[in-house]
Amino acid sequence: MIFAENVTKSYANGRTQTQVLKGVSLEVKKGELAVVLGASGSGKSTLLSVLSGLETPDSGRVVADGEEISAMSEGERTKFRRRAVGFVFQQYFLLPHLTAEKNVKLGADLAKNGSYGEILAAVGLGEKRKKYPSELSGGEQQRVSIARAVAKNPKILFLDEPTGALDEETGRSVIDYLLKLQRERGFTAVMVTHNENLSETADRVIRMNSGKIIAVNQNGRKKSAYEIGW
Amino acid sequence: MIVGVKDGFKFIGVAVVCACATFVLTFFLNYRLDALAVDAGTLSEEARALYDAQLVSAKITCAVTGGCLALIAAALTVFYVGVYIDSRAQRLGVLKALGYSDGRLAAGFLAFGLSVFVGSAAGHGAGYAFSPIVYRLMSDGLIPLTLRYHTTLTVCLVLLPTALFAALAALCALVKLRRPALSLIRGKAEREKHGKDGRAERSFLRDCMLKTPARSKLLTFFVAIAGFCYGTMLQMSRSMKELSSVTMGAVMLLIGVVLSVTAFALAMTSLTRANAKTVALMRAYGYSLSECGAAVFGGFRLFAYLGFAVGTVYQYGLLKLMTAVVFRGVAGMPAYTFDVKAFFVTFATFLVLYEAAIAFFTYRIGKTPLKNFIAE
Repeated sequence: MIFAENVTKSYANGRTQTQVLKGVSLEVKKGELAVVLGASGSGKSTLLSVLSGLETPDSGRVVADGEEISAMSEGERTKFRRRAVGFVFQQYFLLPHLTAEKNVKLGADLAKNGSYGEILAAVGLGEKRKKYPSELSGGEQQRVSIARAVAKNPKILFLDEPTGALDEETGRSVIDYLLKLQRERGFTAVMVTHNENLSETADRVIRMNSGKIIAVNQNGRKKSAYEIGW
Repeated sequence: MIVGVKDGFKFIGVAVVCACATFVLTFFLNYRLDALAVDAGTLSEEARALYDAQLVSAKITCAVTGGCLALIAAALTVFYVGVYIDSRAQRLGVLKALGYSDGRLAAGFLAFGLSVFVGSAAGHGAGYAFSPIVYRLMSDGLIPLTLRYHTTLTVCLVLLPTALFAALAALCALVKLRRPALSLIRGKAEREKHGKDGRAERSFLRDCMLKTPARSKLLTFFVAIAGFCYGTMLQMSRSMKELSSVTMGAVMLLIGVVLSVTAFALAMTSLTRANAKTVALMRAYGYSLSECGAAVFGGFRLFAYLGFAVGTVYQYGLLKLMTAVVFRGVAGMPAYTFDVKAFFVTFATFLVLYEAAIAFFTYRIGKTPLKNFIAE
């Protein structure tokens, strides 16, 4: 489903170039949940940007859903993201002037998905669909954000520190809602985090350090966030 | 210093509007004051009719232009102060937490009066420079007038507005700063007032188009004003060729373009900044640039064209009033009818320029870096 080969990415930092990704290669299979673990500055978020087609690598290849996105133009990558990708961000990024339901429509409209109400119900927010983000707790907002991404019927869901702004208990509940939706819908998910606890919930754990992948482990059986006692 | 001298000069929109207003008011009011000093009894019958008409015309023009532009400048002041405080809420919150009173912080906003001073002083100077031409055109060789400088005008058109707008800025700041220090530091927006939730079946894009203007009422006002100024001044400028002179027409054209461009650019740049995250999110999800542009700017189109339509009716009414009532007895005054050609030419240029500007700003919102957004 996702295949990256020798991917490099640098950013200009004043006069100097900082290489953030140093020849990263990885593979994530269809329907898997891959967790990318690493400390701040290890290149996790840049890897997510490159794998999702938000950015192009300086060199190397990225193939996602059978298409080489590293060779695509900006317009082609936009179409690819529209067709195949969903995002969940650490800070939720819900539009404050729209209700939970209307925020979910942002994703649902792209897939012409009329059953977005069911997804909201699946994340436990059926009753709160008419609430505005300012009327929801952090965990509820993140669940809306997950519903928004899933309502798009993505083939691949990218999650950037989805529990980073939440307390432990709320984070656990958000991850379990995510795992439930993934089981039901079968999409591939790539989650970037520095939370070691999440590694056991994944099919594949990719560890990064200083722009390189230092280890890849596969888990036999995914566990729920509650099972791992996080 | 809470508001530096440099910040005061950033108030450019107000300076431009003040310059335009003071420019027009200077030569019309100076003309009126000089004309009032003339012994009307010595004028011929033809000159007397023109004299009376010009006195009334100067009065109406000053009231209408001064009133409209003062309103726009006041709205701009409120807008600028609000944006300034929102963008520096954290710093102001820290100062409040350290013990600065609201009054002391708000007093710093008096510096915004500097822009008004610069704008109105420039307009006042330009008005005097342009006055000899206006005198020649308005007197038509029939009224013996000498251009004199009136200190009262400098006080009323430069110093007084400077003081008034400085006070308005400080007052607005005082109202905006009446929030707990912690709320300013956290940058927590005041609970947004939510309007009616749109129909559930309405698409996300349509919701954005409808809700963006409703959420940014002041910016909607600026877009409508841009359309109004363009429609009014450009059509009037064409009519001026027959009713007054090419020079007056050119002045109106210039003022119309400057005002509409200032108001429009201000609204669009503010919208671009305010919606940067929405656009980045939409682009990450795969919405095309034109869809993002429609979501942010699409809802304002109606107000721009509405402003243009009101401007068209307004300029027709004003010119009809001037020619049919004020200048009725003046010899050689042509009858005024609605200039259909001027309307179509102005509308066509408005349509092209408006859509081109929207395309430009849509292209600009596409430049929002997605990487910064994801790593935030």
